[in-house]
Amino acid sequence: MYVAVKGGEQAIANAHRWLADRRRGDRDRPELEVAQVGDQLRLAVDRVMSEASLYDPELAALAFKQASGDLTEAVFLLRAYRTTLPRLAVSEPLETANMRIERRISATYKDIPGGQILGPTYDYTHRLLDFLQLAGAEVPAAEIREELTEAEACPQILELLNDEGLVEQEIDDGSEPADITRDPPDYPMDRAARLQMLARGDEGYLLALGYSTQRGYGRNHPFAGEIRLGQVEVEIHVDEWDETICVGEIALNECQMINQFGGSREAAPQFTRGYGLAFGHNERKTMAMALVDRALRAEELGEPIIGPAQQAEFVLAHADSVDASGFVSHLKLPHYVDFQSELDLLRRLRREHAARQAELADAHEAVKSPSEEN
Amino acid sequence: MDGYNFAYLDEQTKRMIRRALLKGVAIPGYQVPFGGREMPMPYGWGTGGVQLTASILGADDILKVIDQGADDTTNAVSIRHFFQRVAGVETTTATTAADVIQTRHRIPETLLRAGQILVFQVPIPEPLRFIEPSEQETRLMHALEEYGVMHVKLYEDIARYGHIATTYAYPVKVDGRYVMDPSPIPKFDNPKLDGNPALMLFGAGREKRLYAIPPYTRVESLDFEDHPFEVQTWEHTCALCGSDHSYLDEVITDDKGGRMFVCSDTDYCQTRRGEVA
Amino acid sequence: MDKAMTVKTETTRDLVWPGLADPAHDSQRLFRQILGAMSEPGTLTTLAVPAPPSDALGAALWGVVLTLCDLETRVWIAADFDSPALREALAFHTGARITDDPASADFALLTHESFDPQTPFAVGSDTYPDRGTTLLVAVERLENDSNGANDEDNGWRLSGPGIAESRVLDIGDGAGCRALMTRLAGNRASFPQGLDVIFGCGAQLAAIPRSTRIASVEARADSQETN
Repeated sequence: MYVAVKGGEQAIANAHRWLADRRRGDRDRPELEVAQVGDQLRLAVDRVMSEASLYDPELAALAFKQASGDLTEAVFLLRAYRTTLPRLAVSEPLETANMRIERRISATYKDIPGGQILGPTYDYTHRLLDFLQLAGAEVPAAEIREELTEAEACPQILELLNDEGLVEQEIDDGSEPADITRDPPDYPMDRAARLQMLARGDEGYLLALGYSTQRGYGRNHPFAGEIRLGQVEVEIHVDEWDETICVGEIALNECQMINQFGGSREAAPQFTRGYGLAFGHNERKTMAMALVDRALRAEELGEPIIGPAQQAEFVLAHADSVDASGFVSHLKLPHYVDFQSELDLLRRLRREHAARQAELADAHEAVKSPSEEN
Repeated sequence: MDGYNFAYLDEQTKRMIRRALLKGVAIPGYQVPFGGREMPMPYGWGTGGVQLTASILGADDILKVIDQGADDTTNAVSIRHFFQRVAGVETTTATTAADVIQTRHRIPETLLRAGQILVFQVPIPEPLRFIEPSEQETRLMHALEEYGVMHVKLYEDIARYGHIATTYAYPVKVDGRYVMDPSPIPKFDNPKLDGNPALMLFGAGREKRLYAIPPYTRVESLDFEDHPFEVQTWEHTCALCGSDHSYLDEVITDDKGGRMFVCSDTDYCQTRRGEVA
Repeated sequence: MDKAMTVKTETTRDLVWPGLADPAHDSQRLFRQILGAMSEPGTLTTLAVPAPPSDALGAALWGVVLTLCDLETRVWIAADFDSPALREALAFHTGARITDDPASADFALLTHESFDPQTPFAVGSDTYPDRGTTLLVAVERLENDSNGANDEDNGWRLSGPGIAESRVLDIGDGAGCRALMTRLAGNRASFPQGLDVIFGCGAQLAAIPRSTRIASVEARADSQETN
């Protein structure tokens, strides 16, 4: 006698226990502390904060630990928490020109006011496994020059070009930007909404799309005008006091790409821009974002749309890792009913096909037989 | 659950969804955009349905959750458990006892009654999506009532296979105007959409769209005069309750081609067995 | 109603615009009634809401406002309803923004007398028909009986989604009532654009969405409307 599978609730509870056990790992070793994750795996934490669009290094570290290092799962955990938070205030626009610089480079000028500052980068490390880390070798402290934290000394490179009128100006028209975390997507999207989507977009996805533009699928001739990393003050305006106050600092990575000219009979030719911004140290992400941002401006700048990275609805609708991983993974859910209806149709089609073949064979036989008799 | 509002969603989000639901009911079959929120379960696993249920559910309601017609499938268990935890509501497996039924992929076999609300989980709300992937384009097609392409697609099936090859998520026309995706229910369930006394709500969380079919609304499955719409039939009856008129799941019983068929609607099947016994 | 809510006594109601005693659960219960009314056009339901100090507005429409309005909504108020007290109460209880532009209003508060077919409420667009104003209209009476107070056929026969066969709704004799229902009958011609209406009369509520076919009961014989 067949009995339908029962006890889903118990199975789920058991699965959760097993998962927790696996996460904890070997009990002979000390449990990983959340603070250690925040401290020593900070690039993972920064990526989780960026794609979850919530700046909270401690909770991002917790999410990363809870997800056993699965970044997409950690992003989802933090995003789901974010959505339950009340909205207490809206900050003033961040002023990245006043960033407390930790790293700042430009690929367009050899020397720049304030200087090129490499900061803590993997860029020129030789990718050789450091076996000393297996042995737990001590790491000497870094030497940091004090004056690097002086913001005034580091003007934004694109503003230098601005003085000459060589690069297009970004003008704040004062309009209220859309809020992609509250408003349903409405295509076509303006640039403010697009940048929000890209800022929380999956790094790997943006990287691939940005790369595709470099290989010719919507090429836009980029130069890394400036990449900066550091602390930026967050300010809110308090209506009651009619005053703007600083509520803290967040680490930001910004990339401003300079791209080839726009211009027309009326407007003088100018460099155009692509922009990338992310929480924390997220340089690859911001560069890829700047490439894709520029690619998505094809229509606005009168360029032919030939590459996937230039197709706004395609790019934006598939950028979010929480959306994408949810829908791909839902294929794990039972689909018995729909599968049954496909089976039913397929069997019927095959029966009909077989019947038709048989008829054809009979007809063929009927045609052939008389001639054979002759 | 500590730290969370009744039924998880904050009141402002519920109000936003409620306003959208009223517009959905006023324009049957039209997909209303809504500010869908992340839920603590993955997109594609019923977040749209869960948000709708959370917005309509009251402390006195009795809730039923099914997936594939069954109350005991893992995701149904998980969603039912979620609402027990965040809303403390009473739950049931009995279709007749439920005020709100959240479903994935089926409409219960038991006739629904006036006052009940059936909430569908929808993965892709746009019936034209697989013909035209752009949202901008499909929105325009709905506005212009330009549904010819849908008929062309169905007719291509007929030309190729001799049948319409869509067996689930079979498109319908609501009140003579909007072509609508009834969610991936088997086309077997499509006739139940027509003139149903219950209110039917559809939620697509990832795509941030909701839509509705009010009670007693005309819902027609798209077809052709020479190829009228027809539903699946089985040569078998349910191995458990003997039903010859319900949707059956095929169960493989051994590795030698042995199989049996049982009702996909577990409550319906159990009720029938109870009555027979 | 299965659960009675606290109703303010006559002595205090002159002063107080009441809120919901238990916002999460009261608004859920009220919403389900409103949803029911919109799903089954013309059916009457009674909202258990503390009455506001305005007989013209009535408890039902105040309950709708408390249930559906918040800082993300804009409300337009007809002159005959408008008062500093109402504006203050709306701001205090809901945070809704008051607008003078009917085309930008999510909700409009008016009476059948102040209904003017020329008021440019938003009816949505063919691509976004949902972006329209929902009218909240206080009417003389709400009855499902076609014979009004003076034995005339004042009712309107409703059919379409949410209605099994047909249903009669009578909202009153006034010229405004007729103008309003005539306007709503015109919804079908512009569908999916159109106006959705929630009627209130005291604590009673009914709704007519744009999907409803409307014919006057008198004219019923010669107007078998279809689509």
